[in-house]
Amino acid sequence: MSLVIQTRGLTKDYGAHRAVSGVELEIREGEVFGYLGPNGAGKTTTIRILMDFIRATSGSAEVFGLDSRARSQDIRRRTAYLPGDVALYDRMTGRDLLTYFANLSGGVDPRHVDRLSERLRCDLDQPIRSLSRGNRQKIGLVQAFMHRSELIIMDEPSSGLDPLMQQEFYALVEEVKADGRTVFISSHIMPEVERVCDRVGIIRKGELVAVEDVDSLKRRAFHRLEVHFSAPVPPEAFANLPNVRDVTVQDSQVTCTAVGKPDALIKAAARFEVVRLVSHEPNLEDVFLSYYGDGEPDAR
Amino acid sequence: MLGNVFLKSLRDQRRPFTWWAIGLIAVTLLTVLFYPSFQDSTDLNEVLGDDNSIMRAFVGDVEDLTSPEGFLNSQLYFLLVPVLLIVFAVSAGSGAIAGEEEKGTLDLLFSHPVRRSVVVLHKLAAVVVSILGLAFLIWAAVAVGALMVGMDVSLVRAGEATLSGALLGALFGAFGLAVGCATGRRGTTIGVSGAAAVLGYLVNALRPVADALEPARFLSPFYYYIGADPLVNGLDPVHAAVMVAGIAVLSLAAVAAFERRDVAV
Repeated sequence: MSLVIQTRGLTKDYGAHRAVSGVELEIREGEVFGYLGPNGAGKTTTIRILMDFIRATSGSAEVFGLDSRARSQDIRRRTAYLPGDVALYDRMTGRDLLTYFANLSGGVDPRHVDRLSERLRCDLDQPIRSLSRGNRQKIGLVQAFMHRSELIIMDEPSSGLDPLMQQEFYALVEEVKADGRTVFISSHIMPEVERVCDRVGIIRKGELVAVEDVDSLKRRAFHRLEVHFSAPVPPEAFANLPNVRDVTVQDSQVTCTAVGKPDALIKAAARFEVVRLVSHEPNLEDVFLSYYGDGEPDAR
Repeated sequence: MLGNVFLKSLRDQRRPFTWWAIGLIAVTLLTVLFYPSFQDSTDLNEVLGDDNSIMRAFVGDVEDLTSPEGFLNSQLYFLLVPVLLIVFAVSAGSGAIAGEEEKGTLDLLFSHPVRRSVVVLHKLAAVVVSILGLAFLIWAAVAVGALMVGMDVSLVRAGEATLSGALLGALFGAFGLAVGCATGRRGTTIGVSGAAAVLGYLVNALRPVADALEPARFLSPFYYYIGADPLVNGLDPVHAAVMVAGIAVLSLAAVAAFERRDVAV
């Protein structure tokens, strides 16, 4: 599988402040890659270097195997982009704005634009300045998807969207993926990345601290489990079970954390009459706190 | 009007252009319509004083304020027309890149396959076309006014003087664009460009008063605009060429400065 984005030692300084430090990203063709980190971690800076809006202090980036500086024009011909905090031309209507950007990129299928606008319920006939933040974001999203680009880079794409539109956005991303195209999403929202991404790169204070498959993250993840019994159970029945931590037994209820396989716990519980089993799906936030939360981050 | 950056930039100018057009036509027409009350007041020339009078810094180096050319030069072409065209040009030129950068829309624009140089040049072209449009309207107002009051002035020469003003305006528009491309700050750009215009004006206009300024005069864009008195003598090809060359150099500088730097968020 070929690489769509590859960076080597990508570093960007603003005066004494190092915004991005030695980032080595590899994003494969056809995957949805999540670039995850808190605000100010360097996500936007990395993306803006890829787009050649800003220039790296050192290191290099290639998109489609082309140098991000020397061949930017060719890269941008094949890439769509949604800025974070998207600023649009306030005095234009959404329709005029989309027409303009369609023309700049050599034209798009107007029916495709209509379909996207309908799905995201965009109001294209009002001047953009009269629209709410969420409605502006939707116009930005139509813009990003309408070019049918090989690569779509989106900076915090779902910010400002209501839950229903977020679902629609996830569906759009999945369709792009089904087409074999590549998506690069930055986000600070774990469930979002978990929902749509194949792999995740975690950036912290300008450094890429980990790159993981979302699936393997979830596998290594822990579940908070609650088992309710019909009668009180003896605490010693749940002591020292493999893969089980933080056990508390209170009358007829057992709560614990299962790491990986919860098999031993289930077998221990099976000796009693189970009336209810509650599993709290971990979100990535907990996962990352657990793996990278304190001290120096692990190496990849 | 949304086919490319040039057309879209022109479209963005619709509103300011319309208001400027109304204002410039009104000011020009009113001024020319006042000519009959000036025409016979030859004693007005006494305010000119001798050749080194400070008055000449405001009305230009004219001999007779009451002749059609003297009147138009002193009342319109020496100060009013160039200043208004420059204000429009600096505002439009500094807004072209720096204004859009401050609004944050450049990221989305440059995510499309357009070169920075192309965007800069398209935007400059839109500013220049707007200035030429305003200059044409000024000339038309002079022509209509002259016909109404029976002023005996060559409309061809008036056209050449106005065109010279348009070149001066475009020169400062290109200056604003270049400063905006280098700094990315609209306020700074307007300040620097305004200061440059005032300095340029004074160096040229104060020459009759201060002999020491004589050599510096050749550095002032205003000298190339009106130093050869285009309303009387026609547009001086060399002076026009100097202004056009200035526009070309400034636009190359704008591109070079902008290509090199980071675009602000």
